[in-house]
Amino acid sequence: MVYLKCSVVVGKISEVIDGQTSLMTRMRFHGHIMMCKNCRRYFEQFKRVKEFAGKVTSDDLPPDFAHVMGFVMNEIENKDV
Amino acid sequence: MQGDEVHHSPETAQLDALKAGHTSAWKEIMVLHGSGLLSFAIRMLGDRGAAEEIVQDSLVNIYHTIGRFDGRCSIKSWLYRAVHNSAIDEIRRRKRYVDVGIDAEENYFNEAGRWINDCPGWDGLAAKRLDDKRLLTLVREQMDHLPHTHREVLLLKEFEGLDTTEICDALEISPGNLRIRIHRARAALRAAVVGA
Ligand SMILES: [Zn+2]
Repeated sequence: MVYLKCSVVVGKISEVIDGQTSLMTRMRFHGHIMMCKNCRRYFEQFKRVKEFAGKVTSDDLPPDFAHVMGFVMNEIENKDV
Repeated sequence: MQGDEVHHSPETAQLDALKAGHTSAWKEIMVLHGSGLLSFAIRMLGDRGAAEEIVQDSLVNIYHTIGRFDGRCSIKSWLYRAVHNSAIDEIRRRKRYVDVGIDAEENYFNEAGRWINDCPGWDGLAAKRLDDKRLLTLVREQMDHLPHTHREVLLLKEFEGLDTTEICDALEISPGNLRIRIHRARAALRAAVVGA
């Protein structure tokens, strides 16, 4: 099952994580991952990085847009007159 | 087709209202996308003041040029495209623009496509020394240091939650190109976090 090259497997990780591969590719990918410690580690790390890159926390309140919106609406409303 | 909600006719109606200059329509798109655009600009520039200015100017500019918008992409993509382009101009103006760095994975494999060195484990790093909160901080820090071409795709995809079509339209790149850029960006981020 390790007949996929590690470099090829690693190159497919993002597509696998994002669900963009065919079932066949996914099966071959996971077959390799089961047998290959290095690719498995890399895959786990990639998943964590993806998860954390998009993590919204309580510190991440959306920035207050009111100030910008006020400016833009002012501009728009003045042009309308 | 992917990820596109059935927004076609409401989007057309909304666009007509924007073109007609209805302030309620303008207010509506700002309420819908404003804070996303601003958070994207802040994380692209690392500077709230400059980000606010860029988003303001982009929106005012869009207001003046909406007549030329042909509706070939969504309004949302168009807004992100405008803010993205202004942010990149600003970054270039400050001479801080960093294009895609080297491919992090380039030197991992031998000619046979096997790992040259073992992939460093981070079980120790993540599970023992770094709890989730610290790992999150580290990922965030490293993200801010990535080349802009890497950072922008991660911000739009993972943080702002745009779908493939929206990102491609916003950045004016093909889906194939986006796939490569996302992979390279994650690889660079992983390498920066692991220190390998
Ligand atoms: Zn492998």
